[in-house]
Amino acid sequence: MSKTFRGGVHPLPGLHQGKPLTDNKPVKPYVSETVCIPLNMHIAAPPSTPVVKKGDRVLMGQVIAEGVGPRGVPVHASVSGTVKEVGNVQQLGARTSPCITIENDFQDEWVELKGLGNVETCDPAAILPAIQAAGICGMGGAGFPTHFKLSVPPDKKVDTVILNGAECETFLNADHRLMLEYPGKVVDGLRAAMRAANVETGYIAIEDNKRDAIAAISKAAAGRKGVHVVALRAKYPQGAEKQIIKAITGREVPSGKLPADAGCIVMNVGTAAAVADAVIDGRPLVERITTVTGRVREPSNLLLRIGTIFLDAIGACGGYTVEEPGKIISGGTMTGIAAPSETVSVTKTTGGIVVLSQKEATSMEESPCIRCSRCVEVCPMHLNPFKLKNLCDMNDLKAAQANHIMDCILCSSCSYICPSRRWIMSSIKNAREQIIAQQKKGV
Amino acid sequence: MALHISTGPHLRSRQDTPSLMRDVLIALCPAVAASLYFYGLKALWILLVSTACAVLSEYVWQRLMKKPIRLNDFSAAVTGLLIGLNMPATVPVWVPAIGSVFAIIIVKQLFGGIGHNFLNPALAARAVLLTSWPSYMTKALVPERTLTFGLFESSVDAITSATPLVAPVADIRNLLMGNIAGAIGETCKIAVLLGLIYLLIRGVIRWQIPVCMLGTVALMSWILGKDPLTAVLSGGVLFGTVFMATDYVTTPMLKVGQAIFGVGAGILVVLIRNYGNYPEGVTYAILIMNIVTPLLDRSLKRKVYGEVKQNG
Repeated sequence: MSKTFRGGVHPLPGLHQGKPLTDNKPVKPYVSETVCIPLNMHIAAPPSTPVVKKGDRVLMGQVIAEGVGPRGVPVHASVSGTVKEVGNVQQLGARTSPCITIENDFQDEWVELKGLGNVETCDPAAILPAIQAAGICGMGGAGFPTHFKLSVPPDKKVDTVILNGAECETFLNADHRLMLEYPGKVVDGLRAAMRAANVETGYIAIEDNKRDAIAAISKAAAGRKGVHVVALRAKYPQGAEKQIIKAITGREVPSGKLPADAGCIVMNVGTAAAVADAVIDGRPLVERITTVTGRVREPSNLLLRIGTIFLDAIGACGGYTVEEPGKIISGGTMTGIAAPSETVSVTKTTGGIVVLSQKEATSMEESPCIRCSRCVEVCPMHLNPFKLKNLCDMNDLKAAQANHIMDCILCSSCSYICPSRRWIMSSIKNAREQIIAQQKKGV
Repeated sequence: MALHISTGPHLRSRQDTPSLMRDVLIALCPAVAASLYFYGLKALWILLVSTACAVLSEYVWQRLMKKPIRLNDFSAAVTGLLIGLNMPATVPVWVPAIGSVFAIIIVKQLFGGIGHNFLNPALAARAVLLTSWPSYMTKALVPERTLTFGLFESSVDAITSATPLVAPVADIRNLLMGNIAGAIGETCKIAVLLGLIYLLIRGVIRWQIPVCMLGTVALMSWILGKDPLTAVLSGGVLFGTVFMATDYVTTPMLKVGQAIFGVGAGILVVLIRNYGNYPEGVTYAILIMNIVTPLLDRSLKRKVYGEVKQNG
């Protein structure tokens, strides 16, 4: 019996969550002529500081920007070649991001790498510095610095590391393919994380619609100390941190607290594979698997260099099948971010690029709430989304807080299911930003 | 090239308000067919007038008030059709006409339109018609035709007597087929049950309210020494449960609330039937629970993920 949580949705049932487009496509590498690498791919720390300038020749894996502060992570050149530009470029966010553009010389000339060797026998104290030096941040989408996540404060008792291979987002198969093709790396990464955080129990959690991945990972995990493979029911948002902790351990993360307060650390399987590379070979995070799908000629799972321009990746998949794309999403259709242009970059957190047609991208007009209670049924945090939406529309932020608006995980299940096409999650997100801004001002 | 920008979700569920209302209309088709079979042109005329009046008053109101015209959500058509199906065949057509206008203008639009009314429009209209023109509203005809599906010979006489503790099989069959007196759409229980099954399969309604309401009616009747099956199948209980008590707008948002709503309505039906002046209590039972709904919504709390542990 697969484990799960209460609530959630089965998005896009007619399309089988958009997965069949790429779930049996093996990962293929693609390298572009230029890469534009953002320096703010991680959260929780300022953008990294450039240490190269225009005209410099850089080697693959060379640090091009240093992390700032204890949480910061460095950024590495993902190709060998010449630095073309150091400056601000429009990326996914509202404001431009500092970026370093490198022209690829297609030599793939690496800097010298020095790893720790075996994850089971290396010095556990050396693991976190290796992870930080490799520039690893959460590759599931959030981009939280991994070394920082694994440094458990002395007052917290963490006993479980969970690797998240649920991949409940629509259209994406990057994690699915990774688990099928590189299961050993995933397991090694988990062991490294467990040893670094001094934890005995590790889970690799996979939705039960990926039986082949469960089999591959189970085989790789056989005989490894403290590693368990768990099947989760295929349901969105099964891969959300709080929901995966609940499903596996039965624990709930206290409101306003972190997973560590429930004794858990949750990491994406892609991050774990990057950790394995970093620890074993000392290899920095310079490439990742990204599913490029939707209205493209050959939907694919590409192994892309960090900094690959979306348009290049789409070109590698045969280009658009529509005359003019309506929307290009970084991520899946539930929580992905709509790109402002085709020229934004693949970052450490880009699990997918989904192209929608003009018709699919045209949003429907909101109509009045008919109190169908579907949002209440699906909310994985057991909130009352319809009520929060009304309070947000009335700008009653106090009442919204009393109704647990800050507990919302912004999974957009409520907006997805709403027959009145209401932008419930958007309103909640905006109101929360206002609340956070007010709290910062100390109002 | 201009790309669309928005937050997620970028693709939505196919089910939207018009498709939900369309499903309700489809679920009503068997009842409409039964009413046409039993009462012919009389039923057709009633249904046409009630539906047209509801749709027209919605249009005129939204036009005059310069509001967006929302006829394409089909909700006015559902209300109109429900009012028509709740009429006895003998009713003069101006009665459902007034009912439809009242339901749309007074009960629905004056309170803010779709989603804002606190009473089910069709039921509120029926209640008003029942008190204003009781003679027209209660003169039900036993249909001249009978429906047997060739399964058995129908005996219309059998059901004129008072409800016995255990009803003869023939009575139950007549109740199911609709070979009894009653409102044109609610007599054929098979047609209503088909609608219920369709709504459940399509995921339009959830099981909580129908199961709790019908279960309570059966249980309460049994406690009072009546035949539970006859209690559920007679009068407007089934029709009211399936099509009125499941109205989203006027029922609670939480599952617990919906269960309480169903149980409450079921208790009220049996109380009104057995101890009230009216022979049938479905209309008032559901309307009373409609009024209770905001209280249920306000007083019932959900346990939010991670909530208790924070305090404990």
